[in-house]
Amino acid sequence: MEALDLKIVMLIIGFMMIVAGCFCIMRTYHMIKIIIGIEVAMKAVTMFIIMAGHMNGHMGLAQAYVVTAIVIEVVVAVVLAGITIGLYKKYGNMDIRNLTQLKG
Amino acid sequence: MKTIIFISLLFLLTFCIMAVMSRSLLKSTISLGFASATLGIIMYILGATWAAVIEISVCSGLVTVIFISAISLSNMNKDDLRKKYNDKERTAYLPIVLIVTGVILVVVALATDFTLPGATSLLSEDFREVLWNSRQIDVIGQMIAILVGGIAVVVLFRDSKLK
Repeated sequence: MEALDLKIVMLIIGFMMIVAGCFCIMRTYHMIKIIIGIEVAMKAVTMFIIMAGHMNGHMGLAQAYVVTAIVIEVVVAVVLAGITIGLYKKYGNMDIRNLTQLKG
Repeated sequence: MKTIIFISLLFLLTFCIMAVMSRSLLKSTISLGFASATLGIIMYILGATWAAVIEISVCSGLVTVIFISAISLSNMNKDDLRKKYNDKERTAYLPIVLIVTGVILVVVALATDFTLPGATSLLSEDFREVLWNSRQIDVIGQMIAILVGGIAVVVLFRDSKLK
């Protein structure tokens, strides 16, 4: 078990979170569930950046990247939530398959 | 401290799986908020205090509120949701996929003697100075992204006058 130190465990759990997020994106048709899948994968990426900063000592730079990633994550979530509400108002549900019927 | 990080990692993975697999959207959103809080704890212990505070306040607070407001604007019945999306059956294989992925990664890590560089002593650099002096382009990008997000909220959340 000595080979599995903290960083490798974090790496494995991060990859598992990315797999869970991608699985959710691929297997569901509900728009909010898809946003949740994206958020789960983004959490793993955030953890990887902090882990890299902890390994090379540049924690200030890593935090700058993480803050940028968090801002973009929030903006993506807000815009997708707005699209979801628009979808619900138009079709009465949040099914992603309805987006294929968009025009213009 | 390592024990706390291991326990937090376990909780993080559990909350993420709950967020992905839960049938109720509200439970999924709350699980995602708990996952963000757990990640904030890990970040705080590793020394990223500013990022941890922003993660807990923004990702665990703001994003959860946005999701709950989006869910509350729709009034779909739980049975209708189950019939239409069938999410529980469609994501039923996720634990198996995750177990296989975890076993493969552990075997690869043990078999190849995979190692990562050890933690070096943290440099005395302040996050605020780095962001302001070295990463101005990031600050400009963040401002543009927030502006775009604000305009998008105004455009997308407004009530349509069209039938």
